[in-house]
Amino acid sequence: MTVDTVQIAALAPLLLISGAGCLALLLDTFKRARGPALWLAQLGCLAAFALVASQWMRATSSQPIWAGMWVVDRMALFLDGVLIGTAFLTLLVAAPFMREHDFAHGEHHALVLFATAGMMTVVHATHLLSLLIGIETMSLAAYLLVASWRRQPAGAEGALKYLLLGAFAAGFLVYGTALVYGTTGGEMSYAGIAARAGQAADNPLFIVGVYFLLTGMLFKIAAVPFHMWAPDAYEAAPTPVTGLMAAGIKVAAVGGLVRLLGTAFANPGLALGHAGWVRVLGGVAFVTMTWGNLAALRQDNVKRMLAYSSIAHAGYLLIGLVALGQRVDGAQPALLVYLAAYAFTTLGVFAVVAWVGRRDDERVLVHEWAGMARTRPAVALVMTVLLLSLAGVPPTGGFFGKFYVFRAAMQSPDLAWLVVAAVLNSLASVYYYLRIVVAMYFSESVRSWQPFRSAGIAIVLVVTVVVVLALGLVPRPVVELAAGGLITGW
Amino acid sequence: MTDLRLTVLVPLLGAILVMLAPRGERTSRPIGIVAALVSLGQSLLILRDFDKSIGAFQMEVDQPWVASLGIHLHLGVDGISLWLVLLTTLMVFLTLLSPQAMGLHQTRSRGFIAAMLVLEAGMLGSFLAIDLFAFYVFWELMLIPMYFIIGIWGGERRLYAAIKFVIFTLAGSLLMLAAILYLYAQVHAVTGQWTFDYATWASITLPRGPELLCFLAFTLAFMIKVPLVPLHTWLPDAHVEAPTGGSVILAAVLLKFGAYGFLRFALPFFPLAAQQTAPIIAWLAVAGIIFGALMAWVQDDVKKLVAYSSVSHLGFVVLGILVLSQKGIQGGIFQMLAHGISTGGLFLAVGILYDRRHTRQLSDFGGLWKPMPVFGACFLVLVLASAGLPGLCGFVGEFLVLSGTFTAGKDWQASGLAAPMFGHPALLAGLAAFAVILAAVYLLTMFQRVMFGPLDKPENRDPKLRDLGLRERLVFGVLVLAALVMGMAPQPILDRTAASVQALTANYRDRLAEARANPIGPARRSGQRPRRPASAQPGTARPF
Repeated sequence: MTVDTVQIAALAPLLLISGAGCLALLLDTFKRARGPALWLAQLGCLAAFALVASQWMRATSSQPIWAGMWVVDRMALFLDGVLIGTAFLTLLVAAPFMREHDFAHGEHHALVLFATAGMMTVVHATHLLSLLIGIETMSLAAYLLVASWRRQPAGAEGALKYLLLGAFAAGFLVYGTALVYGTTGGEMSYAGIAARAGQAADNPLFIVGVYFLLTGMLFKIAAVPFHMWAPDAYEAAPTPVTGLMAAGIKVAAVGGLVRLLGTAFANPGLALGHAGWVRVLGGVAFVTMTWGNLAALRQDNVKRMLAYSSIAHAGYLLIGLVALGQRVDGAQPALLVYLAAYAFTTLGVFAVVAWVGRRDDERVLVHEWAGMARTRPAVALVMTVLLLSLAGVPPTGGFFGKFYVFRAAMQSPDLAWLVVAAVLNSLASVYYYLRIVVAMYFSESVRSWQPFRSAGIAIVLVVTVVVVLALGLVPRPVVELAAGGLITGW
Repeated sequence: MTDLRLTVLVPLLGAILVMLAPRGERTSRPIGIVAALVSLGQSLLILRDFDKSIGAFQMEVDQPWVASLGIHLHLGVDGISLWLVLLTTLMVFLTLLSPQAMGLHQTRSRGFIAAMLVLEAGMLGSFLAIDLFAFYVFWELMLIPMYFIIGIWGGERRLYAAIKFVIFTLAGSLLMLAAILYLYAQVHAVTGQWTFDYATWASITLPRGPELLCFLAFTLAFMIKVPLVPLHTWLPDAHVEAPTGGSVILAAVLLKFGAYGFLRFALPFFPLAAQQTAPIIAWLAVAGIIFGALMAWVQDDVKKLVAYSSVSHLGFVVLGILVLSQKGIQGGIFQMLAHGISTGGLFLAVGILYDRRHTRQLSDFGGLWKPMPVFGACFLVLVLASAGLPGLCGFVGEFLVLSGTFTAGKDWQASGLAAPMFGHPALLAGLAAFAVILAAVYLLTMFQRVMFGPLDKPENRDPKLRDLGLRERLVFGVLVLAALVMGMAPQPILDRTAASVQALTANYRDRLAEARANPIGPARRSGQRPRRPASAQPGTARPF
């Protein structure tokens, strides 16, 4: 395998992000000032975004490199853009948050970039090994980030739970990879697996391998019944990191699943019984969204509520994946648009949660938000728009994403019941999202309200609310971008 | 020629301007009133330009929104929506003009005015949209401002009322969304293109089973909105807790969307299912007419009384529509407008009473005519209009609905199709007519207990008990004038609805005949399988 300039150019955004991460780490070692590492990390994100944009212009067809380990196509670049944006906004929130809560770790910024590099690897991977490397890079950085807030009493517990269950997920992925490798006659690239899947389909070990791989990925997107870690880890993590996990990791894992299911396991002959993974994922989608929403109804802690809400969103996303498996028109762009809308909405919501808390007073219980609309009307309005987007109420991006995904699923009569279930689920979700709105607007404040001032968080709020409203009001450009890079000819 | 996009845009721009204005109502209220006045002017221009001989949509604007998904901002007005648009702009303008709109919470007026204007944009958009996606977006746009209006400016139990309002309304509209998505996929399967265009959707005939399910989903949303018994329980709560302005808009415009939805969507999209279920819905409507009247009779809270009378009056609208005849539907539309004026006015009057006396219990009032004669006279006209006194607006609609119901069987025989099985249309008409008498009883009793009788309670003699102020006189003057004109000269209104209703019923009959002849619909005839999308390929795993 030779390394030439074409390959370097294809990998440039990834190299830039990881390089900026390493430099930030070095800077922090030699110089204790917090500023430069942050600026470097942010600069790295902006430069990587520009590179991704320039690659987009050239990527009219998919470009495989390194013997099918890695691909540069428009789907990956679209998700790269979302992921780099996620990292950039996370850094903007993290700096003031760490200053307020007084836990400065220079390696924080580096870890955010390393996690992002892992996420980008996941969406570019066309080989089970590169998928595994991406997932582990992303997860290891995330474990550290969750545990980094030592003052938080639940921090160690949440981080440990995340680490242990995450290790299980990694085990599933590795074992699944091994079984698929063994039963397809030594294939680990997606194209190779797809070619051999027809012959291997009768082999029970192959089927087990497929489901092990799915299980590992479902852990990462926090689908029921593999969701136990999510509420604890979300609660324990520093709030900006929670935002990164809820937005970035979910985007990356779903992106990875789209490619894995859309290419490697797309063979219609690949079936368990007569239904295959499509049927199983349909059931998981239903259970995930329903359980997530019902559990969120009972939460008083905003971070845990949002954790369950992100589980419910994993359920909606799985409907899109099932539709992809049914080979309907437009499932893939629908998932991409949904992911973009979801990522920006989630980042904005967690930015508000980060902004609300003060040192030693995280202020995450719903009733502690009472009266926010009186003192901070603009932030309350932004939060309301973002929550409505999570709930899927027009004219927000969350509504359009849901509409787009449901449109795809509705084309298959077999999935109509899932769409109806999802629509009824959003009704339940409206109830708990509105609890926050009720506290902010309809209740009188019981305690004084003095959130900290931060330009970074203000920028994040403006950016996310503008993106969310733009996705709802003028979705056409994003729809066209997302439709640009179909991985299969469906 | 007026641009309908501007009609929707003006209130939204007004809302943005209001939010940018400094806090307090000194600048925000004038901005809001001007925006509402401009909207009113625009709807008058639409009325001027409207050609009453055309039954189809007029002044259409069709702007692509997300063309690849068939989403357009497609607006148009016809005889059914024309007067409802005018009613909307008029009532929002009067509400913003009225000093009592916010109830006793005279705070955060800027937010209230902005919410009202967003609500107005949502209402106008829903009436004008003839693209189902745009319609749904506007429909949901009405929900959130109303939620805030009840929740922030409402009474004691406002939280409960606000959340109940949202959950009920959203339950209906989400089921409708599921049906819209299903139809969207079906239209694609039959025509081969992704479109939300109203005319295309209205030309598709569905297989019977899905047609009935989709009809039920749409109907549930509309029945909750109207509301029909037994889905009405959110309404008394919402009305009682909402501030005066919220109640006025809720009664005058929002509830109309239920009936409007039947006319615009449920009947043209699902003719056969509508035909089959019309008797059930008609009986529910009559049950609501009588139940609402009886409930209104026993209330001691004036606002609750008016709220239940609203349930009763809107039953007439649904009954008129569901007998599926020209006369009935025109009567239903007229009744919607009359109800908007009279009940909207009654809620404003209740707001005045509450503002002056801080109570709504009938037993606390008495003899108020003496200190407030001008108010008394206006209140009397509105009460009589609501009770259906000939010469006032309420009479025309109720009469047309009743006579349309009475002759429903003949109308259908004349058109060559068997009537929907109402059992005995005369019985329905008779029961509904009985409720007209009840309405006179409870409304006049209420008026007597509030305005007449001995002036024996010291609070009612307070010299500070003011009669109507200038702005209030203006508001009530317009409403009383509207009630009189509509009652004395209903013909201009009926003329402008006639062509569209005729087109609607004619189209409905054709589609019904076609559906009866081909129960599966044109999809099968054209060789495509209606139940599977065209893109589903053989060999696909077929789970679920």
